[in-house]
Amino acid sequence: MNRTEIIEKLREILAAAGDGTVPALSEDSNLASDLGLSSVSMLYMVIAIEEEFGIRFDDVGASDFVLLSDVVDYIEGKLR
Amino acid sequence: MKREKKAKAKLFSPKYLIYDFVKATAALPGLLIFRPKWIYESEKAKERIRGGALAVSNHYGFFDPLYLMIAIWYRRHRFVCGKEFFESRARFWFKSFLCIPIDRANFNISSLRAITDAMKSGYLVSMFPEGHVNGERTGDLEDFKPGLVLMALQAKAPVIPVYIKPRKRFYERIRFAVGEPIDVTSFYGERPTFAQIGEIARAVREKEEYLKSLV
Repeated sequence: MNRTEIIEKLREILAAAGDGTVPALSEDSNLASDLGLSSVSMLYMVIAIEEEFGIRFDDVGASDFVLLSDVVDYIEGKLR
Repeated sequence: MKREKKAKAKLFSPKYLIYDFVKATAALPGLLIFRPKWIYESEKAKERIRGGALAVSNHYGFFDPLYLMIAIWYRRHRFVCGKEFFESRARFWFKSFLCIPIDRANFNISSLRAITDAMKSGYLVSMFPEGHVNGERTGDLEDFKPGLVLMALQAKAPVIPVYIKPRKRFYERIRFAVGEPIDVTSFYGERPTFAQIGEIARAVREKEEYLKSLV
């Protein structure tokens, strides 16, 4: 799975957990300021990612990811 | 809420030794000093809590964990507390009381897993969703952290709201109001949106406000 496909899946996850609208995502999107994710939303997203991608996150905290690219890097690393 | 079979925490284990010893020795003095008064929201709220559950309460003082233990006296509580307590001199007691550490500045997935695993194993996890001691001893509630909803959702466990009336004088008896178990999936199903998680946390807080009116 390449980075574009990972971002597309993240877009679906965020759309389902958000208000239904699909957010415009780029690798530089800031999770807190651009996407409005709180610490709890971030963990909720992590749970959804684990289910969607079949991976298990290590001991990551809500503030360990700042940009969407951080999440994509992490998922890519886990899928490798 | 779909629950195939309620897991039960072990009845006896060496790790409960200190907890049970302290509880047994403190029970009689606690009853005499605090003279607890239980008020229940309904007949359903009187029913014993079985299996994994999340007890939530207001937090106005450092004795609240003790009061909450008295309010639901028949269960062992596993309190969620800041990880800094596990680095303090009192860490022995926090470990002995099977508390679950949480990084309040950076809520992480391993803390969430530890909490949900405890509930899935049949423990009663207890927490103060205001996130800190509410210094205003008026009993007014601050906003509840939505993390409580995430914990209950992940564990598929009910939330047990308890309101502890602040004591103004040390000789006042302690009063609690215990509410009916709240099924967090009854609001928006098992997959609420981010906004709905916040709404559920507000609903739990409203229930706590209602309990406050009962004591």
